[in-house]
Amino acid sequence: MASSQAAVVKTLIWGGIATTLFGFLFYYADEFVRLAQTTGDSCMVQEGKKTVYYSNATPELCTAKGGTFAEGSWWFVLAPIAMAFALSYAHGLFTGLFWDTLGLKPRK
Amino acid sequence: MEHSMSLLNFIDIGLSGAIMLILVGFVGGMVSGFIGSGGAFVLTPAMMTLGAPGIVAVASNSCHKFPKAIVGVVKRHKYGQVDVKLGLVMATFAEAGVLFGKHVMTGVRNSFGAVGTDLYVSAIFILTMAIVGGFMLKDYRKLKAMGDEAQKAQEITKLARWVQSVRIPGTMFYSRGAQAEISFLFVIPLGFFTGFLSSAIAVGGLAGVPGMIYVLGVPAIMASATEMIIAVATGLGATFLYGLEGAVDIRLAMLILLGSLFGIQIGAIGTTYVKDYQIKFTMAVIMLTVLFSRFFYIPGYLVSVGVMEPLPEATARLLKWVGDGVLYLALVLGAYTVLSALFKGMKEHRERQSVIARETAD
Repeated sequence: MASSQAAVVKTLIWGGIATTLFGFLFYYADEFVRLAQTTGDSCMVQEGKKTVYYSNATPELCTAKGGTFAEGSWWFVLAPIAMAFALSYAHGLFTGLFWDTLGLKPRK
Repeated sequence: MEHSMSLLNFIDIGLSGAIMLILVGFVGGMVSGFIGSGGAFVLTPAMMTLGAPGIVAVASNSCHKFPKAIVGVVKRHKYGQVDVKLGLVMATFAEAGVLFGKHVMTGVRNSFGAVGTDLYVSAIFILTMAIVGGFMLKDYRKLKAMGDEAQKAQEITKLARWVQSVRIPGTMFYSRGAQAEISFLFVIPLGFFTGFLSSAIAVGGLAGVPGMIYVLGVPAIMASATEMIIAVATGLGATFLYGLEGAVDIRLAMLILLGSLFGIQIGAIGTTYVKDYQIKFTMAVIMLTVLFSRFFYIPGYLVSVGVMEPLPEATARLLKWVGDGVLYLALVLGAYTVLSALFKGMKEHRERQSVIARETAD
């Protein structure tokens, strides 16, 4: 009984960590989108309330489009990779424990 | 070539879109866990159906795939299904394929814009799945017609037997999966093509898994587990390269991951209850259904790149509606096949265990 309670607690802890990470990602979703689209040279154009991004941009083409040119920073690519690693680790552990706790196990 | 900027739209994700992505991820994960890492063949078209351009769908799918493959490979290594050495050799050459495939994709985008990548991804998809799906279905029929004993004694393909018999000094390594020494020279084209498909449609497993089975003589369950090592390498490589192009939508990738990590474990556990031919059947059915769904989008893409005259609005809407419908049917079929195989396998296993327990008690 004690061990099954410990398993439930562990499941809940990892579930909490995964939920927090998902919360972080979606709270800062616009920031993540901006980082992704300015990893390479890009052109930001305001269309109404929305900012759209053109990739493969040059300052001249961007000016002609009436947008703001942003020089890319290659290391922004590490943001989605780090997020993917962290989330898959926490969420992977959580889902494994989740199915174990529910009793779904492989055939021995 | 004239330099031109291209608009790379990330889709708006509302609550219903998020729920849809999680569900799609869940089914894709189940199929992935069941057949290896190839479940992404449901996910790339599903993301495109939800409005993501081809290049974004492939990039985001790669980003969700590599961490998922890590989870999968660790699980299946515990079941003794992974040939680590073969996986690492294939992964090395697959990276070269990823580089080449990404170069082709960005070339298409620079020439035809994001919609060009829709057409390119769909065309490669249809071609690959028609070949692999048809092949799998044929093999499934052959295997099902055999009894259990015949399957155990089933010989590997003539090609694999020949590959295993060739000795090229200095290039040989022992493959635990094939239970033979293989020259890595045979692994080069397999790995390269697996990597190319990974970066073209985010589904290298469609080439890697059958390649290991038919060319190297690795059993299906081990081939699909070993392919996950390659999926880690190609997924990470493609995420990095496409990330530099600004095409990785982490929101899309992580919502898919949220569902698929729940699904992959059901699929992986399912493989321990089923026979090889059932895995082949699952693969073939879903593949051919998804392939069929892609056909309905092609006219729309051709119109967008300016190759075809615009269609009447009602026709365009109908085509998209049918395409979406067939894709969702594929998802339902995938979920049903994996779950029914799992529950049936668990039930039979329980019954066998209780018979053994009764006999022991007597």
